[in-house]
Amino acid sequence: MPSLFRRKRLMIVLLGFIVLVTLIGFSIRDRDSLSTPEKFLQDSVGWMQTIFHKPVSFVDTTVENVQDMFNVYEQNQVLKTRLSEYKGVIQENQRLNKEVDELQDTLGKSEGLSDYSSIQATVIARSSDRWFEQMTINKGEEDGVEKDMAVMTSDGLVGKVKSAGAFHSTVLLLSGFDRSNKISSWVVREDKEEAFGLIEGYDDESGRLLLEGIKLDEELEPGDTVISSGLGGVFPSNLRIGTVEEVVNDQYGLTKTAYVEPFADLFDINHVMVVDRSVETIDTSSEAEGDES
Amino acid sequence: MSRYVIPLFCLFLLVMQGMAMSLLPAKLVYSDLLITPHWILIFLFIIAIFYDKDHTYHAVWYGLVFGLLIDVVYTGVLGVYMITYTLIIYVVHGLKKLVHANFPAAFLLAVIGLILADALLYIVYSFVQITSISWVDYGLLRLLPTLAANMIFFTLLYPLVKERAYDWSEEISNV
Repeated sequence: MPSLFRRKRLMIVLLGFIVLVTLIGFSIRDRDSLSTPEKFLQDSVGWMQTIFHKPVSFVDTTVENVQDMFNVYEQNQVLKTRLSEYKGVIQENQRLNKEVDELQDTLGKSEGLSDYSSIQATVIARSSDRWFEQMTINKGEEDGVEKDMAVMTSDGLVGKVKSAGAFHSTVLLLSGFDRSNKISSWVVREDKEEAFGLIEGYDDESGRLLLEGIKLDEELEPGDTVISSGLGGVFPSNLRIGTVEEVVNDQYGLTKTAYVEPFADLFDINHVMVVDRSVETIDTSSEAEGDES
Repeated sequence: MSRYVIPLFCLFLLVMQGMAMSLLPAKLVYSDLLITPHWILIFLFIIAIFYDKDHTYHAVWYGLVFGLLIDVVYTGVLGVYMITYTLIIYVVHGLKKLVHANFPAAFLLAVIGLILADALLYIVYSFVQITSISWVDYGLLRLLPTLAANMIFFTLLYPLVKERAYDWSEEISNV
């Protein structure tokens, strides 16, 4: 019965198409948390990755250590010269910290936007599809990780938590940011006030972040530092993001757009900190804008 | 035994696929070329060609399950890898009747299957606006490097798996 067979095959193709559209529609919308089966699968694969990660990374770090040993002498020389500078900076820092504490005491304000606690995590895998700029870390909701928290390395911001499972979470890297993941930020300039802007995306071709909505009369220099402002509701302030490389007027000539080179290397990431802001975060899902962070 | 070994090996490849991206030297993996490993697909091609009979569809079902796992673990957009892998393995399973089961023929089938699978992924992902690169850029930056990298993997995997897949196939048909 060829006609029946053909009809069955057609049915399967149609059914497959319906399943595809339904699943994409279900998963691509902005979800607050993953469904339970997804969390379960993510955690089980995460455990296996952790098991395989141990021996492989051991070999990896041993090779790196041997390579490092050849550079130790030169590095030591450079570091010694730096050390004397740091002593001065530390003293100044202590003095300033004390001053800030005193001022905050007089104001009766104990928590600032820059206060945060951090959760240490290790990167155990990265998305195999390069169109998805995300990676898996070995800490989840049980360790206090929540959706939309900032993720940093010692160099600077690398991304934010896209979804948290029970013991593992997925991190969306800066290179995967778009208009629905804005970062409210400040450009720190010498002798001038900070300029405000929003990180609104990533330029794939040059590998730089787009800092948009800067006022036309603000003058930025290449080399100025970009930090998070903490006004977006989720990220604390003073997280280092990157340096301004190039400033252009936007397509309508109303604001300026700066290209920002991220401090952190977005490709070679091994250990990260998940940043938990001390000040209560604002529930952004209720805002019409989507999640500005 | 094959009932356990094939899914376990698929699971191993799934785990290694993500770890390869974080552990291989960054210069190799993160150049401008968007190399994407499709190791599970390659393995299941060999299974479809040498393990499955004309009337058995093991590889297709494994494609469904492990495609979904890739979706959940690595992309977060469900269904795309699942449907793509299932469909393409089914096509390869259908095409294998036309050729002899030897290395050049299997290589050719794998090349065709890989191109179809990756192109289908590109089409679906550009519909849902996950990627927005042009066809030309896609071909040069993603399709060709991905094809080259995965065919190297195919050439390495083929001698390891082919004989075993054939033996398992005899084993289950004798029972």
